[in-house]
Amino acid sequence: MSELALRFSKQFSGRAIAVEAPRGGVSRLFLPSDQSRAALVAAVLKAKCEPGEELELLGEPVNALKPKAREKMRRRVAGVSAAVGLMTNLNAWENITLAAAYHGTPPLERVAEITQDVLRAFGLEPMSFLARLPEDLDALERKIAAFARLLIAAPELALIDGLHEGLNRNERTQVARFETEFRARQPDSTLIFVETREEEDG
Amino acid sequence: MLRALREIEGGLRLSLNVAGRMGTLRRAPVLESFLRQVYFTGVTAATDVVLRASALGVLIIAITMDVLDADATLAVKILLLVVFREIGPLAAAVVVILRTGSAIAAEVAVMRVSGQTRALRYLNINLYDYLVVPRVAGVMVATAALTFYIQALAVFGGLALSPFIIDASFTELAGRFFELFTPVDFFYSTVKSLLFGFSIAACCCYHGLNPPEFTQNAVPKVVTRAVTQSAMLVLTINAVFAYIVFGILFFGLVTAKV
Repeated sequence: MSELALRFSKQFSGRAIAVEAPRGGVSRLFLPSDQSRAALVAAVLKAKCEPGEELELLGEPVNALKPKAREKMRRRVAGVSAAVGLMTNLNAWENITLAAAYHGTPPLERVAEITQDVLRAFGLEPMSFLARLPEDLDALERKIAAFARLLIAAPELALIDGLHEGLNRNERTQVARFETEFRARQPDSTLIFVETREEEDG
Repeated sequence: MLRALREIEGGLRLSLNVAGRMGTLRRAPVLESFLRQVYFTGVTAATDVVLRASALGVLIIAITMDVLDADATLAVKILLLVVFREIGPLAAAVVVILRTGSAIAAEVAVMRVSGQTRALRYLNINLYDYLVVPRVAGVMVATAALTFYIQALAVFGGLALSPFIIDASFTELAGRFFELFTPVDFFYSTVKSLLFGFSIAACCCYHGLNPPEFTQNAVPKVVTRAVTQSAMLVLTINAVFAYIVFGILFFGLVTAKV
């Protein structure tokens, strides 16, 4: 079995992009543009490549996956990303529990426990926070709700895309704790932060 | 032409998918969405139609008695045939198209355009299960309930208020009504209203999920198309039912061989 959790390559605007991340650790991947970052995030969360892309997830090339195997692979992967935003017609609690309630796992008591822990860790009052719609949450609160959803999903491979986007300096220090919170609950899983780092010309 | 064929094919595929996935209503978020849909379509719409439905029954009886110079039996017969079998389900369908169909089409289109449907896919949630099945099932149940409600109000309103306009007592009209009423009337309108609900919700969900473009400008186009096609579907289904039951179409131009 490959020791890599993720290996992605793509021809983008005439140049080759290739990134990889080892299993079981915390990695930071920097992509040269927002488009290439979006392509990576979409490919990982869909467990599917577009033409010209190559992706290996948790040791398996996704192109070779049959539909059922792809669906299983997608359950092993989860992310916090603008691409996996909150449903605007559901409040924070409904958003956090949606996937768990739909799939029937983990049980609701466990979901409530994880949610309370996460909210407490970030100094949020559960009762008022959970009743609010996404439009009433600020950027940090939306990220925390998405992070709680990620912890509930307990994926083998977690992707956190654009962690600092839309946050001020104080909020950035708060989201930096995502890593420790995640490692505390999922010590064997892989956590990958994906950011854009535009390369300077010359 | 090609687009129309594609829409028919897509609509049929969506309908078959929904029919085959009704079992997912057992899942908590799907059931919750179904109950919300029933509440929105059936309960909140019910208050709007009370007076109008009662007035409908009175008008039918008054006009029949006046224009056709009919007796109480003929007036009640027409109330039964026109209000109970035809106008009741159609009035409910119109209310559902205008209130719920437009809302469903707009809501689903906004979700599609804003990337929320993609987010659902990334959460491994089937779009049919979460978006389409509860809406279609909810609208079916609510349309049938709303139809029964309108029928009851229109008939009761017609029977109760008509004695003030025409020369017939409430007991006379009610007696005639229960003499002429058969369970077939109820069965016919229930099946028809369930089909109306199914076609309205499926059509609106289909258009919401397939906007012509992925910008906010697509939303009004989706709503217009969904509402227009839902109305056409309802009229078509109504005509087919009329043909099956009464044997005539287009005011007698097409007649079934009995």
